[in-house]
Amino acid sequence: MTKAGTAPAAARAVDVVNVGLRACAAFDRPDLAARLTETKRRLADPVIHVVVAGEFKQGKSSLVNALVGAQVCPVDDDAATAVPTFVRHGEQPRAELWRGDNGTGDQREAIELADVRRHVVETPIGDGEPRVGGVEIRIPRALLATGLVLVDTPGIGGLGSAHAAASLAAISLADAVLFVTSAAQELTRSEMEFLRRARTMCPTVACVLTKTDFYPAWRRIRDLDAAHLAAEGDIPLLTVSSALRARAVKNSDAELNAESGFPDLITLVREQVGGSAEQRLATEAAAEVVALCDHLETSFTAERAALADPAAAQRVVDELTAAKSHVERLTTAAAKWSQTLSDGIGDLTSDIDFDLRTRIKEVTAEADQAIEAGDPADTWAELGPWLQARTAEALLSNYELLRERATELSEKVGEHFREATGALLTQPTVHDPTPLAAAEVGEDLDLKKMRAVKQAVVALKSAYGGAMMFTLVGSMVGVALGPIGLGIGLVLGHRGLREEKKRQVQKRRTEARNAVRRYGDKITFVAGKDSRDTLRRVQRELRDHYTALAEELNRSNARALTAAGEAAQRTKADREKRLKNVDAELARISQLRQRAEAVAGS
Amino acid sequence: MSPARLIDRTRSVLDHAIEVYRYTPHGTRLAATRDRLDQPLRVAVAGRVKAGKSTLLNALVGERLAPTDAGECTRIVTWYQDGHTYRVRARVGREERQLRFDREDGQLNINLDGLRAEDVDELRVTWPAQALRSVTLVDTPGIGSLSESAARRTWDLLVPDEEETPADAVLYLMRHLHVGDVEFLRAFHDSEVSQPSPVNAIGVLSRADEIAVGRLDSMASARRVATRLGEDPDVRRLVQSVVPVAGLLAETAVTLTEEEVGQLRRIADLPPRDAEELLLSADRFVGTRPELGLTEPERASLLARFGVFGVRLASTVLRRKVAGTATDLARELAERSGLNQLQDLLSSLFFERRDVLKCRSALLAVADVVRDFAGPGSEALAGEVEAVVSSAHPFNELRVLSGLRAGWVSGKAEVVAELERLIGGAGGATHQRLRLPPDADRGELTTAAADALSRWQRRAENPLTSYELAVAAQVAVRSCEGMLADLTEHRDVRTRH
Repeated sequence: MTKAGTAPAAARAVDVVNVGLRACAAFDRPDLAARLTETKRRLADPVIHVVVAGEFKQGKSSLVNALVGAQVCPVDDDAATAVPTFVRHGEQPRAELWRGDNGTGDQREAIELADVRRHVVETPIGDGEPRVGGVEIRIPRALLATGLVLVDTPGIGGLGSAHAAASLAAISLADAVLFVTSAAQELTRSEMEFLRRARTMCPTVACVLTKTDFYPAWRRIRDLDAAHLAAEGDIPLLTVSSALRARAVKNSDAELNAESGFPDLITLVREQVGGSAEQRLATEAAAEVVALCDHLETSFTAERAALADPAAAQRVVDELTAAKSHVERLTTAAAKWSQTLSDGIGDLTSDIDFDLRTRIKEVTAEADQAIEAGDPADTWAELGPWLQARTAEALLSNYELLRERATELSEKVGEHFREATGALLTQPTVHDPTPLAAAEVGEDLDLKKMRAVKQAVVALKSAYGGAMMFTLVGSMVGVALGPIGLGIGLVLGHRGLREEKKRQVQKRRTEARNAVRRYGDKITFVAGKDSRDTLRRVQRELRDHYTALAEELNRSNARALTAAGEAAQRTKADREKRLKNVDAELARISQLRQRAEAVAGS
Repeated sequence: MSPARLIDRTRSVLDHAIEVYRYTPHGTRLAATRDRLDQPLRVAVAGRVKAGKSTLLNALVGERLAPTDAGECTRIVTWYQDGHTYRVRARVGREERQLRFDREDGQLNINLDGLRAEDVDELRVTWPAQALRSVTLVDTPGIGSLSESAARRTWDLLVPDEEETPADAVLYLMRHLHVGDVEFLRAFHDSEVSQPSPVNAIGVLSRADEIAVGRLDSMASARRVATRLGEDPDVRRLVQSVVPVAGLLAETAVTLTEEEVGQLRRIADLPPRDAEELLLSADRFVGTRPELGLTEPERASLLARFGVFGVRLASTVLRRKVAGTATDLARELAERSGLNQLQDLLSSLFFERRDVLKCRSALLAVADVVRDFAGPGSEALAGEVEAVVSSAHPFNELRVLSGLRAGWVSGKAEVVAELERLIGGAGGATHQRLRLPPDADRGELTTAAADALSRWQRRAENPLTSYELAVAAQVAVRSCEGMLADLTEHRDVRTRH
């Protein structure tokens, strides 16, 4: 592995990608350039989601405001944040919101910054408009310019609440989580459970202890929390006071700013969160460049083999011709990877659907038991949230299964694709003038595997539309259980009260059971369609990706064929001159590969 | 009015029940239930971990009996009851043990004497205190505690599997409405006698000074939050009313010392800007302005007693000369902490309804035994319980009240509001029912009651009134008749004298 250079990984990645792009131009491969251009765009405009999560009223919005040094997220003594708020960089301050649940970009509307409060803060009753799915605020801030997107979220309301499940689903697609807890008390059981689960879904989790200005005993709480966190492994704990920071920013008071604890938090966000995301992006970019090198080397290696030994030229041409039909087959539906994909998606769709139905059935059965155990008149108001929470939990587990299995499938498709192509790309190794390509094969494989896994996450993210990651489980929170007729609640002043009550209770139970069943059906219907659509999008994404790769291969192979064919027809002098050139090109490519691998390995 | 009769009827049901179950283990339990009928009302202080239960309990008692701490602290269910001597006893299984204790700076320290907290089932602190004459307070470990067994204890106390709840009423402390809270309260209610009702629970928005993170207008903000919570339909079904209390400030107000007032004066004498800078954060208060003449431990202990909000408020009150003496300051702080309002509410909603709540618990206990252990005579007993439950007017009032709160009985908002008051929803006293000032004379009360009577008679008989409202109206009519009867009775008593 190469030591990390002085320049940040992203800058070096951009350099490597630029060289790669120049190579594409020089060797006339615009098809390969397209992918690199996309990579370059991602490097230039990275999106790093940092989800700020925690219980109600712990100071999440204040923390976001204090981080960016402006009142962007509404803070209220009473009302809590009701919809996720995305705070990101923009030259001009502006705000947008989207309505509805699946948030497919087209429903976005611009709003005044002053109106953000009205949309974000929880309102008692809906005014008939479709639910606000989220709000995006752009402000010019150096901290955010690196692509950081701070996501302020509604309070989780205890583990096992519907919101907790929605937050966890969002966290699974986020780059980092800041878990906010105030110095009012040590971490509670449900907070710890949430943290534990968040950690399994997102690699980077940090805990922030807020309101240290107000609680004299915050050091005690910090130590208690640190002990709880230590039991979970390596979760950093930071202590901050948003109030002091706000005042420090207002009065440009550096001393107070240091007291607020924010400098440390900003360093953490910038270096650990931003840094690791940057490294990941850089590695992804490097992997693309390495893939480019593979393609370019193919034709030069073939040409070189033909040039070096004219007697072998025909064999090289034959081999490449044989490979040609092979590669062409890769682009068709008959290819093994393609079959793996379509079979896999088929199986997955039916498994996920079965899993969902089973889980909803279990929830319904539990609800039936609860209804049987009590009087719905007493329990109905609580049964609603309980049912929603259990359903959200079931949906979350269902989604986790989907995520896991989709990743597996993506790996498998990638594996099959690699099996088919690996042989093709290394085929014309009659003799290899540049032994380092073989030496780096281990790392090369890792990078390739990473590309396949990344593809699954990319597919899932694009299936859920990036910023809309809250809506997956969150949309289900909005499905109402529906009212039941409670019957006559009042029977007074005569004997037989008990019998009359019993009769009423039976009637209410029947009604309640029916309502629960209707709810379950609705959820199965909506969520079932949602996961089918998601899988279809994953399938499309993966198919397009590998088809494009196959076409690139096809072109590389054709190039190699042409080059080898031409080589055979050259005069000896011409051949020797060309050989020198080809060796020089190969050396240059291998140099590029080395640089890319250095970026990936740093 | 009928509560007197209700308690007699309940007593006779209990007597009969003890007779029926004489030769079974339940006889003892029922006898204990009968004794409990004459004891002070039992009020549990419950809520999530660190909601400020012990602090509020101390404020209500007026002494620092319950241990308080920044970390999780109450691990054992503790009873605080009146008595002739100071005594602390621990119950371990069926065994009771006397424990030693001492007081340091007014803070009670109990020596567990080698017992492990998790082995002790409950502690009973007997303490001669004025405040405990009318009420026995029960401190509970929080729900949502990191130590599983501490949380389970609260559930055991409030939601035992097969017994009546040991508490007659509950003060439920909430910091912000939390799903855990709703589930918890639901479990506290039992539906067998008198339906689940918001009659025996008051919501306390505790640690109210934290809602606006210690700004001087914190209590105003807290009141707004409490009002909103109290109007929420789901909360209305569960608790009678929600009041904000800054527990720490309340506790300190009732135990304020002259020395502390002297220290606060030094802060009050600073120019306002300097005082603001000093109180910017807890750390600044402890560590800056050495010229103040307060040592670091003194400052830390002020913070521990008052909190940042308390120091800000108390020093401002002193600076603005709202209060001059220590007594004035104590009174002012008790008022501003919301403690007085809570005490008023306790007396109008719990203490004045003591008999009804007591009878409710007792009948619940009998119903439990009858339901679970059928035997010769138990069927007749069940009939008796039902007869009392279905016919006693106070229970009918409770049932209508919970019907209103649950939204089963609906009508025009002002009609429903009047109905709720008439049946005692805002307090059982006649003037409260009629929405008259406490000093209203008998003439005014009689006129108002008679007006209400005829109004509700009309509503009860109006064919356009919905069935539920008509049934409820009949109860309101009974309530009016009861008030009128009381008013006349009093006049008779007075004329006779």
